[in-house]
Amino acid sequence: MLRIAFLVLLLCAGAGFAQEKPTLRWGMDETGGAPYVYDNQTRGFEVELAQYLAEQLGRTSVPISGDWSKLPELLRNGELDIVLNGYEYSEQFRDCASVPYYIYRLGLVVHRDSAIRDWADLRAQPGQPKKTVLVLQGSAAQRYLENRYGDDINLRMSDDVASAFDLVANRQNADATVQDNPAVAYYQQADASQRLRTAGAARAPGLYVILTRPADRELRQQIDAAIRKGIREGTLLRIYEKYGLATPDQDWLLFLTGRDWPPPPGAFPAWETIPTPEEVGTSVGSLGPSRAIDWSQVLGKLLSGAGMTIFLAVTSFPLAVLLGLLLAIARVYGPRWLAGLAAIYVEVIRGTPLLLQLFFLFYLLPRLLGSIVTVSIPPELAGILGLAINYAAYEAENYRAGLLAIPRGQMEAALALGMTRRTAIRRIVVPQAVRIVLPPVTNDFIALFKDTSVCSVILITELTRQYNVLYNNHRDQIIVLAALTALLYLAMSYPQALFAQWLDRKFARGEGGTR
Amino acid sequence: MIRVTDIVKAFDGHRILDGVSLEVKQGEVTALVGPSGGGKSTLLRCINGLETFTSGRITVGSITLMGGVPHAEPLLVELRRTIGMVFQQFHLFPHMTALENVMSGPRFALGLSRQECEPAARKLLDRVGLSHKYDAKPANLSGGQQQRVAIARSLAVKPTAILFDEPTSALDPKMAVEVLSVMRDLAHDGQTMIVVTHDMDLAREAHIVHVMEAGRIARSGPPAECLI
Repeated sequence: MLRIAFLVLLLCAGAGFAQEKPTLRWGMDETGGAPYVYDNQTRGFEVELAQYLAEQLGRTSVPISGDWSKLPELLRNGELDIVLNGYEYSEQFRDCASVPYYIYRLGLVVHRDSAIRDWADLRAQPGQPKKTVLVLQGSAAQRYLENRYGDDINLRMSDDVASAFDLVANRQNADATVQDNPAVAYYQQADASQRLRTAGAARAPGLYVILTRPADRELRQQIDAAIRKGIREGTLLRIYEKYGLATPDQDWLLFLTGRDWPPPPGAFPAWETIPTPEEVGTSVGSLGPSRAIDWSQVLGKLLSGAGMTIFLAVTSFPLAVLLGLLLAIARVYGPRWLAGLAAIYVEVIRGTPLLLQLFFLFYLLPRLLGSIVTVSIPPELAGILGLAINYAAYEAENYRAGLLAIPRGQMEAALALGMTRRTAIRRIVVPQAVRIVLPPVTNDFIALFKDTSVCSVILITELTRQYNVLYNNHRDQIIVLAALTALLYLAMSYPQALFAQWLDRKFARGEGGTR
Repeated sequence: MIRVTDIVKAFDGHRILDGVSLEVKQGEVTALVGPSGGGKSTLLRCINGLETFTSGRITVGSITLMGGVPHAEPLLVELRRTIGMVFQQFHLFPHMTALENVMSGPRFALGLSRQECEPAARKLLDRVGLSHKYDAKPANLSGGQQQRVAIARSLAVKPTAILFDEPTSALDPKMAVEVLSVMRDLAHDGQTMIVVTHDMDLAREAHIVHVMEAGRIARSGPPAECLI
């Protein structure tokens, strides 16, 4: 009895304690998150900033992780109180942004042996291939490079900062990466063999702000007050110093946060509209305000993404079918050791995710082979091979089922005519098996078609990636963009379904019946 | 021309063939009869190498298959170009037309071109009474027609002997008649044949009959002596 009373007391105390201090749930993405958030959310300048803010607000800091580009959606759905993860101020966040807490710039990072000395060297030189530049999808760096360099560079998007630096450090399919200066500082110092260096001065300053829900006016005011206090008293700068991020730009924070916030529209001209030194004197025609959505451009981008999707599907699937058929033949008719190897292939490939296989092929394999031969697999080739290798395992199972479904008498009749086993397989059994498994195989083609979206992890911009990019720049149009993208996928896969039905009818006619 | 010497096929301790010996002469029609499970079909399948056997030997012309060892593929291919086979269930290739079925042996086993073997294939289909069905797929042919295509197909590689494994058992009597008349023509032309059958009328037309029971040849002789 006494024990139960004690327990109840303890529970009440616990509940009471929790109620005493409300939480401040702040959203972040820990993937490649240094120096913002890392070491299991225990380190990082934003971790300490969140702790400072929570303390000022009388709350407990609770980091919540999510996909970086989806954090505003998590905030809107009420999973988070604020987003605090290097989101830069722009007009689209006017009604929900706090005062800025950090002023960043974009740094250009290259391999130490690179010929790129400054930003101007990024431009394509006559007779030389375009420079491949990696950026974080949806980042300010992406918009900056698209606006400034356009088709002069080969812009590749990644979801992960760490792998971008990694590819540049290994000179693997990348000449440079453009990242916010905190990441540049961290990864340069973390690169023990000093393969990374910056080229030219950091440019295109921007403001990191905290995002809140537009309706949370009171919370926003409390946060603004806490940030202003932290800037006045030097608390924020001390945090930044600890991480080597106290750049001279931070001197402007006091000035910026001393003014009215948010600034009146147009008070901060977007940096896209300010010519850089290299552009002074040249005409940069397209430097208008970038936020207004240009639907013909959007549609053009989605269509080019769809084109890549089609390209990946129609190149990889024939390979998958061919390899799958060979594997199936090896399993059904091959000598025991070969059948065993084919079975292992099928099980290993089916049992591991396509995503990991693509990672292995693109990031790890060239490095493993690096000690023997220098190989660099371009992203599209890695994508095609990865999809082919993956789908071959599924096609192998389809064809195996098809081969096993052919009555034994077919093989015997062929052998009795004096054909070799090989000829009998090729001329008699395989053609029949291929027809039988036509429906599942065409079905797999439609599945592969949609699986091409996984290729976005290896820097390929296909339809899904293109949609993500566009939606990051035009969050207010998310529903239209999503509908357009879905419509494009449907427009591409529905004709395939019709084609599959037609094939099926064509071969079902006069082919079934007795065997 | 075909000599089977004391062959034994044991499977799971059960002797499916228990010391069978027989000889088939050129131009002779041999019938294998007897109750089901007596080993008739198995013997036939051993003769053209679709099945191996435990001991004994089979000699076809200059080719010899030995019991107890797997047969080498080149040997089997050579054997099967000498001996054709017609199956109870026809086993036509469903993805090919009647004409393509007949040409499949010459083209894929002998390596002839389509042009080289098409005239002969047409003639063979004419011979089995199917000159109007060159381009029909097997699914669109009756059982009797399918079996006649199968016979034409086995003839196309010009074998010296043909093995028939219950060629009329899957057919109704009317269709069986079509097939029997084709076989009768072949016999008349001096084609060497071994026919496994339950059809006593067919067996009666053979030169020699072997009655098989429990894996052995119970008795042999001309039909008049063997069949009651």
